[in-house]
Amino acid sequence: MSTAQTPASAAELPRSITAGRGGFQARYVKDRLARYVVLVGGLGVIGALLLIFVYLAQEVAPLFAGAHVEERKTFAIPGAGGRTLYLAAEEQGEIGMRAEESGEVTFFDLHEGTVRGTETLPLAGRKLQSISSVATERGLLAGALEDGSVLVFAHEYKVTYPNDKRLITPGLSFPKGNAPLAFMSGPATSFVARDEGDSLMLVGADANGALNLKVFAQETSLFGDITMTESAVQTFTPAVKPDVLLLEPLLHWLYVIDRAAGKIAFYRLKGSEAPELVEVKEAGAKITEARYLAGGISIVVAQDNGKVTQWFPARRNESEWYLAKVREFKVGNSPVTAIGPEQRRRGFAVGDESGKVSLFYATSGSRVHEEKVFDSPVERLVFNPRARVMMALSADGQLRVSEVHNEHPEVSFSALWGKVWYESYDEPKFLYQSSSATSDFEPKFSLTPLALGTLKGAFYAMIFAIPLAVMGAIFTANFMSPEMRQVVKPSVEVLAALPSVILGFLAGLWLAPFVETNLPGMFLCLLLLPTSIPIFGFLWTRMPRAIRLRVPPGWEAALLIPVISFVIWGCFMLAHPIEALFFGGNMQSWMDHTLGISYIQRNSLVVGIAMGIAVIPVIFSIAEDAIFSVPKHLSLGSLALGATPWQTLIGVVLPTASPGIFSAIMIGMGRAVGETMIVLMATGNTAVMDLSLFSGMRTLAANVAVEMPESEVGSTHFRLLFLAGLVLFFFTFFLNTLAEVVRSRLRKKYSSL
Amino acid sequence: MTGVQDRTPITHGIDIESMQRERAGVKLEDETIALEVDKLDLFYGDKKALKSVTMKIPQKKVTAFIGPSGCGKSTLLRCFNRMNDLIDGCHTTGEIRLDGKNIYDRDVDIAMLRRRVGMVFQKPNPFPKSIYENVAYGLRLAGINKKRILDETVEWALKGAALWDEAKDRLDDSALGLSGGQQQRLIIARAIAIHPDVILLDEPCSALDPISTLKVEELINELKKDYTIVIVTHNMQQAARVSDYTAFMYVGDLIEYGSTDQLFTKPSKKQTEDYITGRYG
Repeated sequence: MSTAQTPASAAELPRSITAGRGGFQARYVKDRLARYVVLVGGLGVIGALLLIFVYLAQEVAPLFAGAHVEERKTFAIPGAGGRTLYLAAEEQGEIGMRAEESGEVTFFDLHEGTVRGTETLPLAGRKLQSISSVATERGLLAGALEDGSVLVFAHEYKVTYPNDKRLITPGLSFPKGNAPLAFMSGPATSFVARDEGDSLMLVGADANGALNLKVFAQETSLFGDITMTESAVQTFTPAVKPDVLLLEPLLHWLYVIDRAAGKIAFYRLKGSEAPELVEVKEAGAKITEARYLAGGISIVVAQDNGKVTQWFPARRNESEWYLAKVREFKVGNSPVTAIGPEQRRRGFAVGDESGKVSLFYATSGSRVHEEKVFDSPVERLVFNPRARVMMALSADGQLRVSEVHNEHPEVSFSALWGKVWYESYDEPKFLYQSSSATSDFEPKFSLTPLALGTLKGAFYAMIFAIPLAVMGAIFTANFMSPEMRQVVKPSVEVLAALPSVILGFLAGLWLAPFVETNLPGMFLCLLLLPTSIPIFGFLWTRMPRAIRLRVPPGWEAALLIPVISFVIWGCFMLAHPIEALFFGGNMQSWMDHTLGISYIQRNSLVVGIAMGIAVIPVIFSIAEDAIFSVPKHLSLGSLALGATPWQTLIGVVLPTASPGIFSAIMIGMGRAVGETMIVLMATGNTAVMDLSLFSGMRTLAANVAVEMPESEVGSTHFRLLFLAGLVLFFFTFFLNTLAEVVRSRLRKKYSSL
Repeated sequence: MTGVQDRTPITHGIDIESMQRERAGVKLEDETIALEVDKLDLFYGDKKALKSVTMKIPQKKVTAFIGPSGCGKSTLLRCFNRMNDLIDGCHTTGEIRLDGKNIYDRDVDIAMLRRRVGMVFQKPNPFPKSIYENVAYGLRLAGINKKRILDETVEWALKGAALWDEAKDRLDDSALGLSGGQQQRLIIARAIAIHPDVILLDEPCSALDPISTLKVEELINELKKDYTIVIVTHNMQQAARVSDYTAFMYVGDLIEYGSTDQLFTKPSKKQTEDYITGRYG
């Protein structure tokens, strides 16, 4: 051997054991490259996930940030120095308006406090007693004169752009004429005016404590002539002393408030008939101020015990109206002295005797800001229509103008997840309604029905999918012949490739109407299919051996195809006679009448089937792999101990495969929770709080898909959709993490197999 | 079995000489027969894996099957509890009689058969359960769930498998935490817990280290007092050490079968001699 020639390769191969390190040999470069690619890829996935999370969180965060109020300037209120009857700021927050009892109207700059213009109301020497806002959004006001007449006027702001600079020119107009309208014979101690359509309603209290009510109707003739018709003055004595009057914009309700007694009398107006007293409520403390919130449904009542309460009309037993105390806001310990409602949202500012101003939002019940601005009591609080500028007037005549950044007061944890008593509802509810035909509606941002809908859809899908997928996986992995398994497994997995939009489309347009017309057939199927299969299996074992042996072992499942087809056919054949016999010809109406279950065409049953089909391949595939990969020697060990195949399955195979089966179910669940297209197309997308099989749902995912195109970027609604996405992200993240944790724990337990 | 309980754990070596002395001069004709194989043919599809094997397995003795790989010794072993039934396309002709009853008869309940003919596999295959539950598994299968009976049997079986001292404090721990040798003894405990007549050992030590192997071999020597043992092994020293009777198989044929001493010292067939002297295999 030693004499043999050493091959040339011996000299070629390096001998140094450190030669390869740090070198640029192709294989080391490849090795390193592969390592970096894998590393970058892995970190990239984690990074991308993190970025998505951060982005979602960043979009959502402003929802929960409080308001931010910045002082612009504080100055002595401009004007003639009389009693301030009305204070307003225009849309852009540039000009303020003050009306005094002398009839002097001063427009002043909200940045500098300088006077921008003055106007005098044509009062012919009379003084104004009070001013009521007729329609805040149009700047329409009604001033009650000391002789009992009423002057209707509006403050208006013309915006022009000379030299490309915005110029706002304030002015007054008199839509009902320059002359005061005759109303009462003496001064009104309290006064309110509202217009609805062409009617203007005035309500005033006279010195005797009686209320006078008068309606002016404006008629415009074909030729544009305006004529005013007046109703006779209705007079009645209210149940409480009329210190403050509030009139509903639609002229249905009138609130008469007794400050000292702390009582609210709630009247229903019935046109020309006398107003009907619905009830008198105790506020529980002396009332200092009461205002309507935007939308004209809720009133907020300020009390001298430092509380503000919200009230609106609601019904008992569907018909009987009452005044519901909806919420209570604790402001502080000093008496509340001023309330300034926002004009377009349910927010309001509250000022108290200690000079503190707080911002609240009615629907969410939350306080978004609190700040002490004066040493003297706050007398008036006014927002401009956009609620970006707030004016606070102190008792000593200081006007503080602030910039308000309060983008998302509608959202609070309790508004998202708790029951909220929304306006015009009779009780607190979980509601989701992000938009409406009117702009001043109260948005309902409860995510609870969406989260419930998501879980409901997933639940029904899982009820449908888990038994089919897991049992199918057990049979395929454990009992099926290898040849048949080679056909069945890929076939089921191919189902996963079916785009969910097609499933949704079929579910919505074909399955939903089919189920609706064949409901008894569907139920018969759900009942008979699971029973007929074991019955067939039993009968098969009782067949003569000669017949049984003709089917190769593991192929018995193929025999079920005709059986299942026949049972389904039979079910739908039998459905109509059964429907006619037991359900009076129509199962839906029978359910509705007898069981009180209403049937919606696109319901959970349809979604359960369609989404079930979408998740079956996922669950089946993972569960089958898990069961199939249970080591053969384990089941052999069990069989060798005298176990039957069934005992082996239950005692050894399934427990060993349980981590895989569990994670299969969890991953399927995650898919069902996040599924969008099927639920979007196969449900009615109604956000109902209802677990009925026959009602639809709106899921978080479908909600985002439906509403994203119509939401204004940066709005509360927009951010809420991100929040829905984030919640969804948490749902799936939670499910997948749970699946992974359980799987890895169980895997550790079974690791040495 | 009392002797088993009191025995101190063995750390090295066993007394092979005394084992050999014990079995000197045994004759098959004097033995009570536990299993009778009669003209057994076995086919994997078209391939004949066992060719008309006829033999008698004596009761409460250790019978070893030796032979080169693929000779059919494991196949024959698996015929005794019909584990071959689980292989697709496998069928047999001929008979194996247990208590005079052909186990391939149609009215035989395979689960019952396997309860009487236990098996231990090449690789330890404890279930992913606790030590206790592994041993109790066979009893639970038979519908025995009384705690007292289970406790008693588990202890008895673990003592019988010489595992009690090592396992008594960790009965509720996972069986997967045991060492390979302990696992294999656990499998034996699991097998004897259901009181079989015959225990089939399919290369039980091939995955074990030498010390574990010796322990299992000593255990086999103890077990034969109560059970009929059939062991398949690649290791001829092992066969020589533990068995009373040895069968040499070659390509599906039973070449020679007789007492171990005779087969290893004076083989009557040339093939046997070639194999045991290491000329092939």
